Amino acid sequence: MGITASPNWQGWLIAYFFFGGIAAGAYFIAGLLELIGSERDREIARGAYYLAFPLLVLCSLFLIADLHRPERFWHMLIQSDTFWPMFKYWSPMSVGSWILSAFGAASFVSFADALAEDGRFGLGRLGSWARMMRLSPAGKLFAVLEMLAAYGLAAYTGVLLSATNVPFWSNTNLLGALFMASAASTGIAALILIMGRRVAHDSLAKLETADTLAMALELVVMIGFVASLGSLASRFVTNKYGLIMLIGTGGAGLVLPLILRLLPKSWGQNAAVVSALLVLVGGLLLRYGILNAGQSLTIRVD
Amino acid sequence: MSDAYGFYTDTTVCIGCKACQVACHQWNELPAELEQQPSEHGPGQTRPMTGNSYDNTGSFSDVNWRHVKFIEKSDIPAVGTTPASVSHSPQDPNRDNLQWLMMSDVCKHCVNAPCLEVCPTGAIIRTEFDSVYIQEPVCNGCRNCVGACPFGVIHMGGSGNAGQGTAKKCTLCYDRMQHGLTPACAQACPTESIQFGKIIDLKVRAEQRVKDLHDLGFPQAQLYGADTKILGGLNSFYLLMDQPEVYGLPSNPKLPSRAVIPSTLFSMGSALLVALGALFAFRKKRMDEFATDPAAKER
Repeated sequence: MGITASPNWQGWLIAYFFFGGIAAGAYFIAGLLELIGSERDREIARGAYYLAFPLLVLCSLFLIADLHRPERFWHMLIQSDTFWPMFKYWSPMSVGSWILSAFGAASFVSFADALAEDGRFGLGRLGSWARMMRLSPAGKLFAVLEMLAAYGLAAYTGVLLSATNVPFWSNTNLLGALFMASAASTGIAALILIMGRRVAHDSLAKLETADTLAMALELVVMIGFVASLGSLASRFVTNKYGLIMLIGTGGAGLVLPLILRLLPKSWGQNAAVVSALLVLVGGLLLRYGILNAGQSLTIRVD
Repeated sequence: MSDAYGFYTDTTVCIGCKACQVACHQWNELPAELEQQPSEHGPGQTRPMTGNSYDNTGSFSDVNWRHVKFIEKSDIPAVGTTPASVSHSPQDPNRDNLQWLMMSDVCKHCVNAPCLEVCPTGAIIRTEFDSVYIQEPVCNGCRNCVGACPFGVIHMGGSGNAGQGTAKKCTLCYDRMQHGLTPACAQACPTESIQFGKIIDLKVRAEQRVKDLHDLGFPQAQLYGADTKILGGLNSFYLLMDQPEVYGLPSNPKLPSRAVIPSTLFSMGSALLVALGALFAFRKKRMDEFATDPAAKER
């Protein structure tokens, strides 16, 4: 073990994994609310739409910046010699490029829809038409597509890491599941932060319940992830970056905010804000820890 | 495949001269990395010693597409005996009971190549000679292939390198082969440790050599990558005199795509649970609202 070279995926990709996860998690919940939520909960979906598309644009820039030949970013989607579409369903990065495009298109439509609903940028006159579309069967179908695109964006990055020969990453099949759970917990935490003062108190409570469940899932998947490493589990829990993930994400980013949620309601708004912030920091440390733990056992040349 | 070409490297006759590395650097116009090497004697001096036997290359890099490994073994087994437990401890300080394993490492041009599999731009292709080749004008420097290769072969081209920012590795001298020439390293090898030819011919030769070595009393002689067990077969395969790990070769490298279906299924399960959790949170509260809000009841 340990003769794989380091792909040297650092800052840009950590930032992408983190913000992409937030966008995907928030958008996933928004799609779900379009399908089953009450009219009052739609406020939350709208908040997610204002979050998802701008974050997606930011993420695309991070990804392009990470390339060593950024001017060739379009080679991911278009074959540079034939100009036919470039797609390899067995390569997660290739699939991910298309997922990112699909998410971009869908979240742009949702973003425009939110603008129309709020009557911004002169889109107000489309508001009633947008509302009609949203309530039609096509609107419901679109909500399903929202959820699918969000799931893809949240999970493919984890699948991508496992589809390598880097230690830790390639020894588990749970990174996609872990990133999905983390996308949900951080996405909802971001919604709590930006929507906290705008939505009704009960809507916020629902968001917190959903977040608590996502965090519990993330904690379970994280334990499963370490267990799935088998003989490498002991190396992971003694690795510097492994510890950052376990203590930073597992402890400070999941267990601590879960305890805060259980505190008496008198803590009120502050506890909600603090725990949401902790979840976000934990989500960032998750990406930082996983990416660096694997690469710390590879060969570095440069 | 009958038209597959590649290398058979017989490590038993490698003398560690590094002529293959020099030939590779010359033909492919790879710079010598001198300016990147901090030297106490000032710039332009020879690079410092690694302290690892006669290996001062260290590892593959964007300009080192071949790498002669020197593995120092103490406890030399007597001829005709199997080394029960060979110790791979650091060098014997007196060098009086020492054996070298030398091996010229290179891209394996795998039949099921992990780098080619993951490459999202189609820059990595399989040529008409069944070798694995990176098209420099297509590569956009995403580095997925770097982490996919289980042999640490691929590295990113640095500044001052032709094709800066793209993935670099052995081309099996694709340009020479298109003109019927032998790859530079095999041509330069003075002991025929590196042999070039059609894979089917090389395999026959290698199997005979293993048989001869077994008959001569070297039962540890074994082929690495000649059958399909390792990534469907390696078009650059080796005759080794110890276990692959001793040479720093993985005994069971993984094909990236193997992870895609199970990882995707687990992630779907995770997404389903997230959806169920959110469903519970939002449905439950709706019911509670309904129960406590008399106005809602009347509706």
